[in-house]
Amino acid sequence: MKILRIIPVLLSLVLILSCGQPQTPALQQGTLLPQAKVIGDFSLVDQNDQPFTRERLKNHWTFAFFGYTHCPDVCPTSLAMLAQMQRRLEKAGTPELPDVIFVSVDPERDTLATLATYVPYFHPDFLGVTGEPDEIHSFTRRLGILYGKAENDSGENYLVDHSASVLLFDPDGNMRAVFGPPHDPEKMANDFIAIRNYYEESQ
Amino acid sequence: MKSFILATILLLSVSLAVAAETQTLVSDAWVREAPPGASMLAGYLTIENPFDEDQVLVDVSSPRFAHVMMHRSEMVDGMARMIHEESITIPAHGKTELKPGSYHLMMPAPDLRLTTGDTVPFVLRFANGEQLEVSAEVRKP
Repeated sequence: MKILRIIPVLLSLVLILSCGQPQTPALQQGTLLPQAKVIGDFSLVDQNDQPFTRERLKNHWTFAFFGYTHCPDVCPTSLAMLAQMQRRLEKAGTPELPDVIFVSVDPERDTLATLATYVPYFHPDFLGVTGEPDEIHSFTRRLGILYGKAENDSGENYLVDHSASVLLFDPDGNMRAVFGPPHDPEKMANDFIAIRNYYEESQ
Repeated sequence: MKSFILATILLLSVSLAVAAETQTLVSDAWVREAPPGASMLAGYLTIENPFDEDQVLVDVSSPRFAHVMMHRSEMVDGMARMIHEESITIPAHGKTELKPGSYHLMMPAPDLRLTTGDTVPFVLRFANGEQLEVSAEVRKP
């Protein structure tokens, strides 16, 4: 009989413990990293010729996509999708919207001027980022983003193969989640909210 | 005399209907409006093949572009790749869609930027000699 009286106590104990540790969110499209990935320092430059360093990733969430402006199909499709995601978050009245950056994997051809007209076309708040080829290489390597000139291509009109994943950085400037293609704006927006809630509950 | 004319009209319309049925059909032709400063544009369309044999698209041209290339985007292990295609096959009694993330046309952007509402003519040439003129609409997806 005594044991029966203990049960509610045990149950409430379990409840208290499970409340203390937020549940890992079930995502619709993204993959949450088991541990935030610290990426170290980097030195890039944004479309306005301002330094783009690790500090610029702090105190807000950032989505990053990697591509090149000579890319007519995949890159505009992904950027248009990210713009749809952003407008969806805006419409929902989401506080503190994430930043969205487009990092060039073709720094030889993508000038600051090109990025400054190309990237904000999709959404006025989107920011183009580029840098010295070595810096771009080292930055993307640490993120698991791969790219390279397509084989059998020569001259000025070469194509670039590149990872089509979208990455999400948390307000500490650490990589938190990866979204593989094909991307869906609604699922991405929902996942963003879920990841952010999880992050805030875990603090 | 009246019945003769009527018969002729009838015959003519029947043969026209038959001709219309046995033609390669192109629909939903469009060119993606690109940001200012973009160097390359992509075009998309759907081709339906009513014939018993495969149709092979071997060449696309347009007076608006220096050249038009046939490409295919492909995702392999999360990597986006573009592949140059010499031709695009439309299976017998089937259709092939040129669409984002798949087969598409790639053209260098003309000096005068194309914007939503503009139309662009294309000429498609098939291996069997058939040639089709298509008007594509510039739009934002």
